Amino acid sequence: MISVRNLKKSFGDHQVLKDVDMDVDEREVVVIIGPSGSGKSTLLRCIGQLETVNEGEIAVNGTVISQHDEHDKYTRADIGMVFQQFNLFPHYTCMENIVLAPTKVKKMPLPEAQELAIELLREVGLEDKASAYPSSLSGGQQQRVAIARALAMKPKMMLFDEPTSALDPEMVGEVLEVMRRLAKEGMTMIVVTHEMGFAREIGDRVIFMDGGQILEQGDPVSLFANPQNPRTQAFLSKVL
Amino acid sequence: MSFDFSIVYQYLPYLLSGTLLTLGFSLAGVVFGSVIGVLIAFGKMSRNKWVSLPFRIYVAFFRGTPLLVQLLIINFGVVPVIIGTSNGTVAAIMSLSLNSGAYIAETVRAGVESIDRGQSEASKSLGLGKVQSLRYVIMPQAIKRILPPLGNEFISLIKDSSLASTIAAPELTYWAQAMNAQYYRVWEPYLSSAFIYLVLTYVLGYLVNKQEKRMKS
Repeated sequence: MISVRNLKKSFGDHQVLKDVDMDVDEREVVVIIGPSGSGKSTLLRCIGQLETVNEGEIAVNGTVISQHDEHDKYTRADIGMVFQQFNLFPHYTCMENIVLAPTKVKKMPLPEAQELAIELLREVGLEDKASAYPSSLSGGQQQRVAIARALAMKPKMMLFDEPTSALDPEMVGEVLEVMRRLAKEGMTMIVVTHEMGFAREIGDRVIFMDGGQILEQGDPVSLFANPQNPRTQAFLSKVL
Repeated sequence: MSFDFSIVYQYLPYLLSGTLLTLGFSLAGVVFGSVIGVLIAFGKMSRNKWVSLPFRIYVAFFRGTPLLVQLLIINFGVVPVIIGTSNGTVAAIMSLSLNSGAYIAETVRAGVESIDRGQSEASKSLGLGKVQSLRYVIMPQAIKRILPPLGNEFISLIKDSSLASTIAAPELTYWAQAMNAQYYRVWEPYLSSAFIYLVLTYVLGYLVNKQEKRMKS
């Protein structure tokens, strides 16, 4: 579904991604792990079209998306994104946050969008927060609304950029629960995370990145139990 | 020093009409200036250097030269070209609008740039276009940070508009000078006009502060 070929990305003189190749199949859940500064978030942001690409290409279902400066709105909305800092719109209620894109981008009638929003809020367990503003919610609740907001555009895949890193520990579980259900429903997902237990549990495949490269990948059981690359071994011995 | 209230009383209708014009100049300056300011701000924020260049020159010119010089150029140069003769009132409104536009542009730019980058990234990822993102996500948040400085700009304009007296726009200072010329009196005209300016700026300053506090909560 997604194919990344020879992807290179630099910020100034600093090369963050050095020749990355990656494929993600439909309904696959890929978890990217690695130390800070390894380029995993940048890779995700390139796929989410928030960063321009220096070299190489990214294709979604055969359509190259990395070549345009101004990306087509619809291909962009095909890829939902969830951020570490939630990035809810603070001046809108949860409901308004969710209906904004469907009504403005897809021109969905408002009542229909509101119905969809209620349904999505119910799925993330927050149907009673429809008229609440983000500032009145806990971090975990905000992130669940952010997931609902991304799902409202009916994306074909979801990108999660350290979705639980800004949360208090007791709120991590509720967000992971929502993601777990999404994965079970067959959503194609790429997840950058530091939650190793979660990576092992829901990942169909785990990718280890360091220094802007993919050093190792495989099914979670064997990668966690028996890492081959010395840097993977060193990293896992520190975090597990 | 003696202060003769009777001549102030006699001149009161003129001083009041001058005050109205002063307020009108300032209001026009801040309203037209806001329209100009928003256009200039977005032009200046363009990532294309050549697109942003004329906007940068505009801001540099109007912030880097005295308002009085701009008034003279516009009254004796620009306005005659447009309407055939110089006209103090037209020139004053034009100068104050163009001048405050440059300052407001910077206010707008600062307001827009103060909004967290995550907001525009989130709207991008949802498929919103640039204009939609500005209209529905960025501007509603930026406006709260732009309004208080805009109020202060209005207050500055009340004081700056006194320069329009030099091009015979009959605003408050113009009438104070006329009063001075008619009666050969100094304190009555200028202290009266100063008092009126002070009341205007003080009341408006109070209102702006109150509004600012309300927006923060």
